[in-house]
Amino acid sequence: MALRFSKSKHNTKVILDGERWERRLQKELMSLIKEPPPGVVVDSDQGENLSLWTIKMRGAEGTLYEGENFTLQFKFSPKYPFDSPEVTFIGPNIPVHPHVYSNGHICLSILTDDWSPALSVQTVCLSIVSMLSSCKEKKRPPDNSFYVKTCNKNPKKTKWWYHDDTV
Amino acid sequence: MFILDLILSLWRSLAGLVWFSNQNFPKSLSVYIRSNDGKKLSVDLDPKWDIKSVKEIVGPKLGLEAEEIKIILAGKELDDSTIIEEIDLGEQSTVYCVPLDHKGKTKQKSVNKILVNLPEEEVITFHVACSHCHGIKHGKLRVRCAECKSGAITVDRDPASWSDVLNPSLISGHCEEQGCAAGPVAWCEFYFRCKEHVSADDIAIPLPLIHANLRSIPCLACNDVRDPVVVFECSDRHTICLECFGRYASIRLRERSFVFSRQYGYTLACPAGCEGSFITEPHHFRILLQTEYELYQRFAAEECVLQGGGVLCPRPGCGAGIFPDDDCNRVACQCGYVFCKRCLEGFHIGECGERDSAAEGGTSGGYSVDPARAAQARWDEASKRTIKVSTKPCPKCRIPTERDGGCMHMLCARCTFEWCWVCQTEWTRDCMGSHWFG
Repeated sequence: MALRFSKSKHNTKVILDGERWERRLQKELMSLIKEPPPGVVVDSDQGENLSLWTIKMRGAEGTLYEGENFTLQFKFSPKYPFDSPEVTFIGPNIPVHPHVYSNGHICLSILTDDWSPALSVQTVCLSIVSMLSSCKEKKRPPDNSFYVKTCNKNPKKTKWWYHDDTV
Repeated sequence: MFILDLILSLWRSLAGLVWFSNQNFPKSLSVYIRSNDGKKLSVDLDPKWDIKSVKEIVGPKLGLEAEEIKIILAGKELDDSTIIEEIDLGEQSTVYCVPLDHKGKTKQKSVNKILVNLPEEEVITFHVACSHCHGIKHGKLRVRCAECKSGAITVDRDPASWSDVLNPSLISGHCEEQGCAAGPVAWCEFYFRCKEHVSADDIAIPLPLIHANLRSIPCLACNDVRDPVVVFECSDRHTICLECFGRYASIRLRERSFVFSRQYGYTLACPAGCEGSFITEPHHFRILLQTEYELYQRFAAEECVLQGGGVLCPRPGCGAGIFPDDDCNRVACQCGYVFCKRCLEGFHIGECGERDSAAEGGTSGGYSVDPARAAQARWDEASKRTIKVSTKPCPKCRIPTERDGGCMHMLCARCTFEWCWVCQTEWTRDCMGSHWFG
């Protein structure tokens, strides 16, 4: 990604080439690498494709997930940040949690209905960490097998009914 | 002889032109001077001149001495030492020239600058929606007398906020227009003009949410510090740059997910979803491209009809909004189409249900036509069939809805009703339990 400098009367602005949403992602990536939330590791080499990220997450100490490692995948559309990212757990270890389906889909309202452009990858990671940390019993959602058998690959194609804020 | 005269006068005027250009005028500004008794002159001014020189030119033309007049622009008397190019005076602007009433004059800050409490040297810009330029443009603030609409008025007090500007009858002034009934006790009426086209009298609509980013607030969406910005009226005063605001409006429009508010119409809230943050001046949506803005206007009108209990004529290409009688299901549109209020199909007697579409279409023309050939020769038949096969009507508003993968839980983009694709009724927990994904 090339840097272009343009001078205005008052200050010097750095303008990154590329679309607005890519520039915001670039910024988010840089700040996430510099100051990741606890338990979150971002690989600085996300490849050429800015619209697909993988993020490593470690189960917090003193919780049911202590010692476990998870991988999250973020997919961004050009409508980002006005459209939420598509976030799923991937890889061999999917956390066993009442809001996480065994195919990696996460039932979390900020990923669809309650998304706002003021949120970020950072805030999504924090929500997921806290969702895992507050879990009292490791179990799959009650409708897991039915959901996983029939659902679309894209979790955003599922219209969720959010009901349980306790876990 | 006559022809000779003509040639001579032509020659003189040509020579005059040459002489004029030899004077090497840097860039002349053509403005109108209007006196308080209705006289209007057009003068060319050099932007480097001060107001004193203007008075020396204008005074004699009005039969007055330069010392006997004052020049008023946007509610303020201009000081002799003010240089024309330093004030907000555009091509073909109008300034007012009135006889002096011997009051001591003090140098005054221009209204524009006082409004945002800025030091004199800062240049500030107002943003306006211009119907002539089809978009958001820079604007200039002007003042006129609420009674006689003349600009020959000076303000008694400077406006201190947008509400002073947007609400008439908050700031008094002294109208110097001859014969004005209000005279020294007039109300000031503030208004805006588009700066980007030369206009005699069209008024632009101010957009108070657009601010100069004097505090260097980063945009909520792109995180860059940009100028100008849109500041929402939520308690956090969330800020988004103008460019991202345009993307926000365009994306939401295409999803048809603007919100219809009874108070403010078809609008958007702060992108962070804050309470009480609706945009109350819909002209902010002039940020959209012209074609999108027309779509916005159409959606807004349709939404207004639907929310008010009306129906839209289902005939392709019509779509007129109709408020039908409560006690009758038969709706006759101006386009000639007569339809059933409940199922939006061609009007029928009895219950709504499946009918042969050939029954629609009114009276027979009296010709005998092979029905098979007639069925093939229908222009819209293919798309009609596609719509019938691939869509289901929303159980509430009847809009044909296509399911583009995903689950059976449908959210109507038109009326926000949540329904089940399988049951074609309201979505329930049972639907989720037995056929969430079919």
